[in-house]
Amino acid sequence: MDSNKLIYPFTAIVGQENMKKALILNIINPKLNGVLIRGEKGTAKSTAVRALANIMPEREEIMGCIFSCDPKDDTFWCEDCKKNTNKDIKINHRKMRIINLPVSATEDRVVGTLDIEHAIKKGEKRFEPGILAEANRNILYVDEVNLLDDHVVDVLLDAAAMGVNSIEREGISYVHPSRFVLIGTMNPEEGDLRPQLIDRFGLVVEVLGEKDRDSRVEVIKRRLKFEKDPEIFIQEYEERQNELSNKIENAKKILDKVIYSENCLRVAAEIAIAMGVDGHRADITFMKTAVTHAAYRGDTKVNKEDLFVAAKLALPHRMRRKPFEEGIIDFDKIDELIEEAVL
Amino acid sequence: MFNNCFPFSAVLGQDRVKMALILNIVNPNIGGVLISGEKGTGKSTVVRGLPGISKSKDVVELPLNITEDRLVGSIDLKKAIVNGEKGFERGILYKAHNQILYIDEVNLLSEHIVNILLEVMSRGVNVVEREGISYSHPSKFILVGSMNPEEGILRPQLLDKFGLYVEAKGVTDIEKRMKIIKMCMDYENNPVKFSLRWKEENNRIKEKIDLAKGIMQNIKIDDGSLVFAVSLAEEGNCAGHRGEIILIETAKAIAALNQRKSITKKDIEEAASFVLPHRLKDSITLETKAEPLDDNKIEDIENDMSSDNNHNETISVYPSLESSLEKESDLSNQEEIKESIEDIVQGNQPLSINIDFTNQVLNEGSGKRSKVKTNSQKGRYIKYTFPKGKVKDIAFDATLRAAASKQKNRDKNGLAICIKQEDFREKVREKQTGATILFAVDASGSMGAKRRMGAVKGAVLSLLNDAYQKRDNIGIVVFRKDKAEVMLNITRSVDLAEKCLRNLPTGGKTPLAAGLYTSYQILKTDKIKNPDSLQYLIVVSDGKANIPLKTKNSLQDVFDIGEKIRNDGIKTMVIDTEDNYIEYGFAKDLAEKMDSDYIKINRISKTNVETSVKNLLNINK
Repeated sequence: MDSNKLIYPFTAIVGQENMKKALILNIINPKLNGVLIRGEKGTAKSTAVRALANIMPEREEIMGCIFSCDPKDDTFWCEDCKKNTNKDIKINHRKMRIINLPVSATEDRVVGTLDIEHAIKKGEKRFEPGILAEANRNILYVDEVNLLDDHVVDVLLDAAAMGVNSIEREGISYVHPSRFVLIGTMNPEEGDLRPQLIDRFGLVVEVLGEKDRDSRVEVIKRRLKFEKDPEIFIQEYEERQNELSNKIENAKKILDKVIYSENCLRVAAEIAIAMGVDGHRADITFMKTAVTHAAYRGDTKVNKEDLFVAAKLALPHRMRRKPFEEGIIDFDKIDELIEEAVL
Repeated sequence: MFNNCFPFSAVLGQDRVKMALILNIVNPNIGGVLISGEKGTGKSTVVRGLPGISKSKDVVELPLNITEDRLVGSIDLKKAIVNGEKGFERGILYKAHNQILYIDEVNLLSEHIVNILLEVMSRGVNVVEREGISYSHPSKFILVGSMNPEEGILRPQLLDKFGLYVEAKGVTDIEKRMKIIKMCMDYENNPVKFSLRWKEENNRIKEKIDLAKGIMQNIKIDDGSLVFAVSLAEEGNCAGHRGEIILIETAKAIAALNQRKSITKKDIEEAASFVLPHRLKDSITLETKAEPLDDNKIEDIENDMSSDNNHNETISVYPSLESSLEKESDLSNQEEIKESIEDIVQGNQPLSINIDFTNQVLNEGSGKRSKVKTNSQKGRYIKYTFPKGKVKDIAFDATLRAAASKQKNRDKNGLAICIKQEDFREKVREKQTGATILFAVDASGSMGAKRRMGAVKGAVLSLLNDAYQKRDNIGIVVFRKDKAEVMLNITRSVDLAEKCLRNLPTGGKTPLAAGLYTSYQILKTDKIKNPDSLQYLIVVSDGKANIPLKTKNSLQDVFDIGEKIRNDGIKTMVIDTEDNYIEYGFAKDLAEKMDSDYIKINRISKTNVETSVKNLLNINK
């Protein structure tokens, strides 16, 4: 993992608070269903995603399982792990990983295919896992997600919705868990995503270049410093990185304990109705985000700040009903609803 | 695979969806359900929860990326290689027999797979004749599909196969919505515990279904009900007889669920709300229904005729008219030098671009305009074929299967299998191909007059909407004053195109030649980049070109470039916006030169634009 060492530290990224927050919340709670980062080129989108690798918490996996099954949760085990229940399970401690899905990826590489070598040598059919297998319980990162081929997008949607990848192709019939945090980055100038895919992203953030002159100077300064001597630069940020890692780990621990009042639910439903969103993903994600943010703060009770953050991250992309109606959101209205609520 | 799906009974608010599914389990003769609805309404959640309320039915999923061999079944590779026997390996259609076959996003399913499905469904038997295997087995299943209509429509033949149709909508009741959030969060925290809590409720439904199933055989149908069902189907103008048959079957299931042995009129009415929505012929005729002729229309027609006359006269004399034309537009230039931005006049009916792909055998590129077989190594692998010449895109599974049956007499060199030249198979891939549509819009002063631009914007916007659904690439070139400008380079972002159109100012002269030339260059480059996608140019102008490009004759320049465009095989359409008392018909001449489709926007009004464009496009199909 030498390459990890020379990654620009997450905590050294200037500004872009929304993006950073959205990413962190997803690491704390993978059930938030990912982030879509929309923004112009050169706004540290990819840098931020790659930098996640170093602040990712460690977690348990079943040793030798290609799907990194969770030893504690047998509901989502792969077939092999299910068969193995009688034997002792060896546990491996490993960090969550970032799995890249290149835009040029072919469908068979994404979903998995027939293991040709095995077939020729042994005359047996065996499943060769693809990117979706690797992505289980990890982060699936698609740079330029808007340029992905349509049929690959369909497959992604299916897996993202179900948490399962089922393969019925090339003589292979196989099902395996594929629950991943989908992180996509895109430049909207190059074409937009289909609304169906946007909706599958739990959170969406828009990033802009920093407008403030001082921050811009700071961005250049840090970048130059990093390029000159990455190791020293990384060392400088080590303490901050550890601090963030610990905070994430702690949040993960208390996530289950976070409570929310009946009125929080009411606010979520009220906002959803007032904004006329499609379906129910908006309110559900809104609440999950609020709960996760409470855990991130180290609290076990959802407060108004959590609701404000959740509204900003989970709602904007779900407002647009048709491809052409711009997502003009009446944020005043949302703020008002949250402000008025008695939690 | 996972027995801890979100419990069927815990899905709130989708009562009609649930009802339609239950009816099908009670009476499999109904022939399935199509669930249509916006994203995030729990369409697939309900379907996947079905095994929890049915003893005998399991949900077999058909993934979008299925290949033919896994759908129908194929040779058992292991048996063939290890034992040298020919055996049949069952496919999804075997698994689905007597079960529920579920296709999520059914509107995105590959054409070829749909064809197989249609055939098997009409016969109830799956006949496999491939790879030296001959096998057939019954395959009757309840077909359940879900789709989001935003993503495109379903083929009519497939639509008709679904017995029932329901729409899934989000719940608008605040208390219910709160409950839904709470339940989803509880479920995610601990699926096992949550499922247990709903087990009893699931069992109650299960029992109700079993009870109803028992009654099913004993239900009597009187003639009155039959007549009523037929009259309902007639009223809806349904094609064929499937409508009334399914009406009766559904009414039977409804009666059985209510533990009655005879069906009532109300049962049939309730059944109709599930059976008829997607069968109504009316919904199709609605769009093409002719509007009653009003005075305006008649005037239009008269205008049309008179303009035709004008046109005939002008054809022979236009060179001499040119100078006067220039004068005229110079005048209008001085008057209308001010720029103005017009609002979009939006129509209520969407326009659609129908592009003929029949002469394009192989296409590449991604888009939805048409699903085509592609020979590039991209796209969805759907079946295999015999290679012609050098093998490029090996279908390993098919090759192995082909070789497998011949292993007995081959020298394997220590490996398990020996593959010979004759065994090689190639992949057939299918890819959705969009088109590149470039709009060349005239934004000269004359376009600003009489609110013409607003109507044009409305028309173009409507076409853009259509392009979005079909995943086309869009570009906009605007010509006004003395030059042509690329407002929007070829992009997939229809949003951007729309914004750009919204802010389009008008004013100045008409450099039509420059506009065409720029468009031509853009499309030519696009053709090099995407050799197999189709280029389409839509020119919106009144044709009164008054700025030349190369020669001194601005019209001659226009025609020259027009011919070039035609010779390069770029399909074109001219939307003529000429609306003066004296009409020159230059746009029409241009259309003839480019061999393009031609429509004229007479007496600008939104319905006018829409009907004319629509009519033309339909003819074009």
